[in-house]
Amino acid sequence: MRILLIEDDKQAATYLVKGLAESGYSIDHAADGEQGLDLALSEHYDVLVVDRMLPKRDGLSLIRMLRADGNTTPILVLSALGEVDDRVDGLRSGGDDYLIKPYAFAELLARLDALVRRRTATKTVTHLKVADLELNLLNHKVSRAGQLIRLQPMELRLLEFLLRHAGQVVTRTMLLEQVWDLHFDPQTNVVDTQISRLRSKIDKDFDKPLLHTLRGIGYKLDELA
Amino acid sequence: MRIALRYAGIYAVFMTLGLSVLYWTSNRYVDEQIIAGLHQRMIELVHIDTAKGRDNLITALNAQQAGNVKLQRHFLLLSPEHQKLEGDLQAWPPDLKIDGHVVNVWIAGKLISEQSTADGYWPMLAETLADGSRLLLAQSLDQAEELQEVILYTIIIILLVSVGLALTMGWFIGRTLLARIDKVSMTAKAISSGNFSQRVPLSDRNDEFDELATQLNNMLTRIEKLLAGMRQVTDNIAHDLRQPLSRLRNRLEITLLEKRDMLEYQQVLGETIEDADELIRTFNALLEIAQTEAGSLRGEWQTVDMTALLADLGELYQELAASKDKHLLINVQQGLKVTGNHHLLAQAISNLLDNAIKYTENKGRITLSAKQHAKGFVVQISDNGLGIPYEKHSLVLERFYRLDTARSTTGNGLGLSLVKAVMDLHGATLKFADNKPGLAIYLHFESATKGTKV
Repeated sequence: MRILLIEDDKQAATYLVKGLAESGYSIDHAADGEQGLDLALSEHYDVLVVDRMLPKRDGLSLIRMLRADGNTTPILVLSALGEVDDRVDGLRSGGDDYLIKPYAFAELLARLDALVRRRTATKTVTHLKVADLELNLLNHKVSRAGQLIRLQPMELRLLEFLLRHAGQVVTRTMLLEQVWDLHFDPQTNVVDTQISRLRSKIDKDFDKPLLHTLRGIGYKLDELA
Repeated sequence: MRIALRYAGIYAVFMTLGLSVLYWTSNRYVDEQIIAGLHQRMIELVHIDTAKGRDNLITALNAQQAGNVKLQRHFLLLSPEHQKLEGDLQAWPPDLKIDGHVVNVWIAGKLISEQSTADGYWPMLAETLADGSRLLLAQSLDQAEELQEVILYTIIIILLVSVGLALTMGWFIGRTLLARIDKVSMTAKAISSGNFSQRVPLSDRNDEFDELATQLNNMLTRIEKLLAGMRQVTDNIAHDLRQPLSRLRNRLEITLLEKRDMLEYQQVLGETIEDADELIRTFNALLEIAQTEAGSLRGEWQTVDMTALLADLGELYQELAASKDKHLLINVQQGLKVTGNHHLLAQAISNLLDNAIKYTENKGRITLSAKQHAKGFVVQISDNGLGIPYEKHSLVLERFYRLDTARSTTGNGLGLSLVKAVMDLHGATLKFADNKPGLAIYLHFESATKGTKV
């Protein structure tokens, strides 16, 4: 996996390059908007990480240039501007995801992973499956080991999201944003209780747990622990 | 004062121009009257001559002299042989032609009449009579000049009086109206130098100046409020963020004092990240409150389906309540809509639900309901928990304020401050009531309001 990081803050860049390299990504770094644009246009990357405020050319204009050029590489926008309007701006200009500084590194990793995989998994499917857990998207029937499981609409949405991101780490904020369309950080962890309820339905009566909690990071639906 | 003088000057110039035009037109009118009079009289005299004979003409001419002293007309009647037959003029002026036009001819007074001293251009009209005699009619200008003089004096007096009046008015305006503008500029000066409590003084006249002053004062009050809010945020940052920061720093310092095993380092770092996250959360909340209060979060204003929003949040928190052995009852009417910021409204409702769950005992009962109302709808969140004493109702809305009973639970004391700011932004009101026991919170929304705060 090749990542292009366009970030002018040296310390942040060093830290990200190191962290992403340790996580198995191969990473290029550009320190300003012009250099970033050149690299993005001349090389092939799986995902771009673009800081919003950059010298020479700001992040949003860089993204617009790329998109106008027909480049569809997924882009994660990083920004210290945290208002909802700023997020909307970032996504409208062609970014695929938006992360507000300061953020947890695990959050960044999870989102990058989701962006990269989304590209390969956009074809329409009728069945989602992990191990013996199966969701039929046509009739919304859930079964595990052939046993039918009844889910509430909200649980169904949550399970679908987890299945689509099977094997990936999904964070609480990702779930809140994409399952509930809530863009804020609730004081109490409301997602945990939703996960517990889902877990009690899909994991409780079976030997092998599929829905794992990664402490302090998020959740993962996977055959392997 | 400068303005007053300038306006008096402009006024004087216009007055002078206007009165000059008046003087000129009145002169012209007098001249025209004289010319018309001469023509008229000549026609009459020629008629007398042809119809009634020369003797009658002479009688008429002399009668005119005797009767119309005021008119000051003069005449000369010459025979066809240029002999003077009658008249008070001594000689025929050499330049005068008989062409039916009134002309102004220079007359040296003595040459014409022994009594007259009036040298000058006199309007004259000459005509040839039937027998070839010539008749000259002239108008002395003494009287016209007198009239013109009177007009001129009058005009000068009017001019002097009105310019004087204009100056007095200007002085008066300077003393009163401009003095009030000066007050405004004095206030502005004081504010520029940092005294934000200054206000423009009002008079009891209730006129445009007072209207202006009131608007300015309203603006100043709003600015002062925003500044106070900003100052409060900086105070809060200094006080409430510095403490956890120094705690965090101390812990790291102490950990570094001596060698420890890996596990211990990992634990300390983990705790430090948690503390940092808590700080970030507090910081974000403060920022969000400040931005909401300043009304700067209004970009994404849209129609928010409150029914759906409340139902979604309710479902989310229902599970949380259940996991803590509490019960959240949801009763939301269909079709509730408001114009606003979806994100902020969700945040506000979630803060309230969070509090309700946090501050009720086990087996607690919480209700989230929303009902159509006369002019809008009311969202009610009530619980049977600890409640808030009446005298603390306004205190809990302040930043970082926490009830003594709440100190043992987690939280930063910013939740309700944000709720209040969000309600203000949406033109909605927030009311606390005693649920006996517990707390009931009423959020009163006007349907599809635009929000009243600017």
